[in-house]
Amino acid sequence: MIRAKRKTGLVFFPAFDWAISPTHPEREERLLYTQDQVMEEGLLDVPGIREYRVRPAKYSDLQRVHFCVPDEESMATESHLISAGGCLVAADAVMKKEVESAFALVRPPGHHAMRVVHGNRGFCNINIEAVMIEYIRDVYGVKKVAIVDTDCHHGDGTQDIYWHDPNTLFISMHQDGRTLYPGSGFAEENGGANALGTTINIPLPPRTGEDGFLYALDELVMPLLEKFQPDLIINSAGQDNHFDDPITHMNFSARGYAELNARLKPDLAVLEGGYSVEKALPYVNVGIIMAMAGMDTSTVKEPGYDKHYAPQAPDITNYIQNLMVNLKSQFLTNPPKPHPAKNGEIITTSKKIFYDTDMINENQDERLVRCRDCAGTLAIDSHSSKGNKMMGIHVPKDACPMCQKMAEKWVNEALDDKKFHFVFLQDRTKCTYEVLR
Amino acid sequence: MILGLDVGGTQTDAVVLENGKVRAHSKTVNRPELLETLGLSLDKTLAGIDPGKIQRMVFSTTMATNAVVMDKMDPAGMIISAGPGMNPEWFRVGPSYHVVEGCMDHRGTEVMAIDKGQVMEAARAMEKQGIKACGIVCKFSVRNPHQELQAEGWLKDQFVYKALGHRFSGSLNFPRRIATAYLNAALHSLHNKFITSLETTLSERGLDAPRYLMKPDGGTVRLDRSCEFPAQTAQSGPAASVMGALALDGCKGISLVLDIGGTTTDMALVLDGLPLWVPNGIRLGEYRTSIRSLLTWSVGIGGDSEVKVNDGKNLSIGPIRQGEAMAFGGPMPTPTDAMITLGLMEEGDKDLARKAMESVGAQLSMDAEAVAKKILDETTKAMTKAVMAFVRGINSRPVYTIHEVLEGFKVDPDRIVVLGAPAPIVAPMLEKAFGIPCKVPPHYQVANAVGAAAAKVTAEITLQADTQRGTLVIPEVGLEMAIPRDFTMAMALEKAKEALFDRGQAVGAEHDNREFAVIEKEEFNMIRGGYRVGKNIRLKLALVPGLIPDCNCGGEL
Repeated sequence: MIRAKRKTGLVFFPAFDWAISPTHPEREERLLYTQDQVMEEGLLDVPGIREYRVRPAKYSDLQRVHFCVPDEESMATESHLISAGGCLVAADAVMKKEVESAFALVRPPGHHAMRVVHGNRGFCNINIEAVMIEYIRDVYGVKKVAIVDTDCHHGDGTQDIYWHDPNTLFISMHQDGRTLYPGSGFAEENGGANALGTTINIPLPPRTGEDGFLYALDELVMPLLEKFQPDLIINSAGQDNHFDDPITHMNFSARGYAELNARLKPDLAVLEGGYSVEKALPYVNVGIIMAMAGMDTSTVKEPGYDKHYAPQAPDITNYIQNLMVNLKSQFLTNPPKPHPAKNGEIITTSKKIFYDTDMINENQDERLVRCRDCAGTLAIDSHSSKGNKMMGIHVPKDACPMCQKMAEKWVNEALDDKKFHFVFLQDRTKCTYEVLR
Repeated sequence: MILGLDVGGTQTDAVVLENGKVRAHSKTVNRPELLETLGLSLDKTLAGIDPGKIQRMVFSTTMATNAVVMDKMDPAGMIISAGPGMNPEWFRVGPSYHVVEGCMDHRGTEVMAIDKGQVMEAARAMEKQGIKACGIVCKFSVRNPHQELQAEGWLKDQFVYKALGHRFSGSLNFPRRIATAYLNAALHSLHNKFITSLETTLSERGLDAPRYLMKPDGGTVRLDRSCEFPAQTAQSGPAASVMGALALDGCKGISLVLDIGGTTTDMALVLDGLPLWVPNGIRLGEYRTSIRSLLTWSVGIGGDSEVKVNDGKNLSIGPIRQGEAMAFGGPMPTPTDAMITLGLMEEGDKDLARKAMESVGAQLSMDAEAVAKKILDETTKAMTKAVMAFVRGINSRPVYTIHEVLEGFKVDPDRIVVLGAPAPIVAPMLEKAFGIPCKVPPHYQVANAVGAAAAKVTAEITLQADTQRGTLVIPEVGLEMAIPRDFTMAMALEKAKEALFDRGQAVGAEHDNREFAVIEKEEFNMIRGGYRVGKNIRLKLALVPGLIPDCNCGGEL
């Protein structure tokens, strides 16, 4: 009898009773065939693979990460809470050392959800990885975390949440933003003033194949991880780079995903996108589970592989080789220089965010304390086309006295300013979240 | 009158029921030969009873279990079509295992035909090895049995018996399908021999009424139909006990059933008269199968468990049984000796029991009574711990819908039914430990045999309808049919019920046995390119375990 070489936890939650809308890619049917394939392969009987029951996350779990406007209840449905909760179950299994690694095969996904949530973006409301990571930090005291996002779409939500956090390395490999939603994720996006170089984007050209993904992994991702020395590696395991995916243009495969996972060896993997529900997901997921369990995946192949998978074209190989030369130079040999602003200086930025699923426009004005001792207090002034005006103040986990003082000042200013309908204080030093107005 | 007989690990229990009352019962110590044991038990139980008055007989035997566990099965060959996925070599079983080309996907669409040349070559290799029975198993054959049927057709003049994977269970699990088909093939001729001998044994005694075998799912199957699925009669003992509890007690509310034997205590849960099933299938020796079974759990604590003192201070109870209690001439002190020493039990040699307790007491500087009390305390504690783990295991089973997560139904037993010889002694201790009522029904010593006598025929079918492909499949009955695009769940339910009742009657169910449960019911819209292209309907229906009308007296048999 085969057994898992690495003890692996599996949290499976297909949400067979939830959809964004009946014909939406995020619908009841999405993980149906994956469930069929996993069951038929008998993966859950393999000694060393253990399935866990999901539990819903609490609103307080979301409050470690998000400013939900107007509140958590209206932004997170039961399905979002269970999907996030599934990640927490996976995290507990790994952190309590019941298993060596765990895969949260849950939906709906989360990597397009940013710190401020006014609605659904890119099928996501709640950033389930971030909810998991901040839970791990609070409950288990883990500091340095690396996220490798292998979804075809840029993980802009996760990037937004960890933009200023030097203790979280965020690497996203995705289809070039010039050719796909959400249109971001370029190499120049490399982190906020206090965390330069801990956000890394690898925009791959359409038609990138098995060779290209694995090349980028070996050449750049693995050395970056080696340099960062994280306590935990998390894979945002989107599966829409598959050659059969209906909404993307990449050329990856089940065995490619399995191989990538085997090399990356994440402690935790979380399902993100992937919408070839019948021809890709069942095989990709089987491949990932087997790879996490340390089993030989050379016999995993989608039935359409021989007919429909074309090896990566030479022009794509050239492009990716050049891209890697540039990115290696930017992040490994000549890492970004410290931000020129003085310690304690306030850096302001503005941005516009579009919620494609819910058709909401949001304007954000952000203030950050430039700080050499911590991630810096952050104040987000946000108003949405729904009319909600919010001030959210985020005090980072390791906030220095100066930044804590600044947070107090900004809170008082916000409370004096009658234009805000909502004022929230997310104090990660005390693990508290206060609705001040 | 109805005869029920359950062969256990060390002894065989039998009862005769008449008008809902136990007319006769017996216990027989097992002989090395199963048929000899059965003959002895029959003679003992039926003494003074007219065999012509017996209208129904049910046997729960250990034939299949022992053959599997002791590896006394016949050689059986396997022909496997797997396609991509887990390496099929990992599931190799038996002396002649052949993987052939062929592939079916999860929808039941044939991706690659099964290779006839390789199938014929595998069959030739098996014949050379003198193999007379084989299993034919394809991945996803429960979604489309075509390849298994094709291979069977090619081999129509070969092999005494061919076990087709899709016939044993409609559930998805390829490795379990392989193991189940293998066991059925490897048990086939043994089982046939056994039932022929059993029929002779019965006829010799003038017992000509319909005969049934007990199954681990709490149901029965007619003896002559059991040769199609010999492995499904394995490990039926724990289920017989649960059905006994149902007949003798009714098991209202959330009942935990504990059957305390010599070697082990078996536990099960019954929710308002309906026992819980295992989700996938029973484990037989090293084989994980898809054979449907009641959810029972066995822990190595019984009346004859070995009592030891470790490190000069810690008492341990079980999991080994070295033999009978010392009071009955056994080699080691046991909880039974403790009960006798405390005067809780009449039987057995009191002096030997006391000596057993003194030997344990000496190691702990305690007198015989004090140590006997401590042993019973520890036994209760160990059982309590095992029960807690059993219930926790049930409550941590994964669920796949928001509804189920939020409903968060947790099993929390509100009463205990205790069976087995020490039941009246142990029950008050368990009642104290759990703080819930602990009942000992009448005839608790032979509840297993009562359960066998009273159990109805069970059957199960799985339906999958795919309106885009235009197919409906019920693998267990070998049904494949075309359906229109507007086929609905209501139509599927009708078809499933019809197939279930037919199936039930084929394996011996009475005409009025129509109490069924919908175990799974799912319906998905299949969307491609933003449009609905069809529906995917899934149903699993079962004739649930229950009591035949004669024995259904609201638990007051």
